[in-house]
Amino acid sequence: MLDEKEFIQQLLNPKTQNDAFQKLLHTYQKPLYNHIRNIVLDHDDTADVLQNTFIKVFQNLKNFKGESKLFSWMYRIATNEALTFLNQKAKKSGISSETLQSKAIDNLKADVYFDGNDIQIALHKAIVTLPKKQQLVFKMKYFEELKYEEISEILGTSVGALKASYHHAVKKIEALLTTN
Amino acid sequence: MKEFKLNTIPKIESGFKTPEDLFFEKFSANLIEQLPKNEPKTISLFQKKKAIIMMVAAIFVLALLIPSVINNASRSSEIDPVTLENYLSYQSNVNQYDLINVLDEEDIDNISTNTNIALEDKTIEDILISNNNLEHYIIE
Repeated sequence: MLDEKEFIQQLLNPKTQNDAFQKLLHTYQKPLYNHIRNIVLDHDDTADVLQNTFIKVFQNLKNFKGESKLFSWMYRIATNEALTFLNQKAKKSGISSETLQSKAIDNLKADVYFDGNDIQIALHKAIVTLPKKQQLVFKMKYFEELKYEEISEILGTSVGALKASYHHAVKKIEALLTTN
Repeated sequence: MKEFKLNTIPKIESGFKTPEDLFFEKFSANLIEQLPKNEPKTISLFQKKKAIIMMVAAIFVLALLIPSVINNASRSSEIDPVTLENYLSYQSNVNQYDLINVLDEEDIDNISTNTNIALEDKTIEDILISNNNLEHYIIE
């Protein structure tokens, strides 16, 4: 991709905005799909949240001041959209967010976009038992292999706190999977 | 029981498959259609004219209001009796001798008929006893 500042200028300029946004979409739709999928678990829900994310990105481009990287700004929007979606869906169904995610894991075997085995399902079930922040940190570090510095910029948490959070998450998951 | 270690065994993937390119092509096309269009704002001539008419009307109303505001301001400059009395009592150097000089016979008659200034005998007696300059007043 072009120099980021230049690319942002293209995104803000009405004459070049459409082409630049197409490029942005092409570059980020797959990584953001994977990021959102890890949070909301269901494919159809992921598609909805991904669409909302890009619409929000487009609407807020004029407010993007370049203080953070475009990558982390978009991941932050996607994370917030995914978490908001989960909370709203749980509220509508009258169940907790944890129960909602457990149900989604139970449905994974029938999902055409999931080819995991029993160990992978057990791992997802163990992750759901963690506090929300630890779930996020674990998924971003373990599945998406993002750097601590990148996660720090996305979640607005210090690297030290993220390392501690990830360490606790790994210990809890290992303990759960050992007993099961 | 075998202890489970996340970092020592081969890494467990999430199991989620990224959809094929066709899905993302359709997704992009749908999304582009849903994006709000950036059409330039057009202001009709009628709207412009309307704004000018409103401005002229506002200036006209203001011009009509100014004389009445000025009139009200000049009326309100009349001093009410309480303010005048307070000023004479606390702010000015006017003393009772100045006031006596200003009063004429008619004013004194008015005061004596409209105001009850009769003094009791005992009060008069007290004033006469306590006043050292009585002779001076009698001579005057």
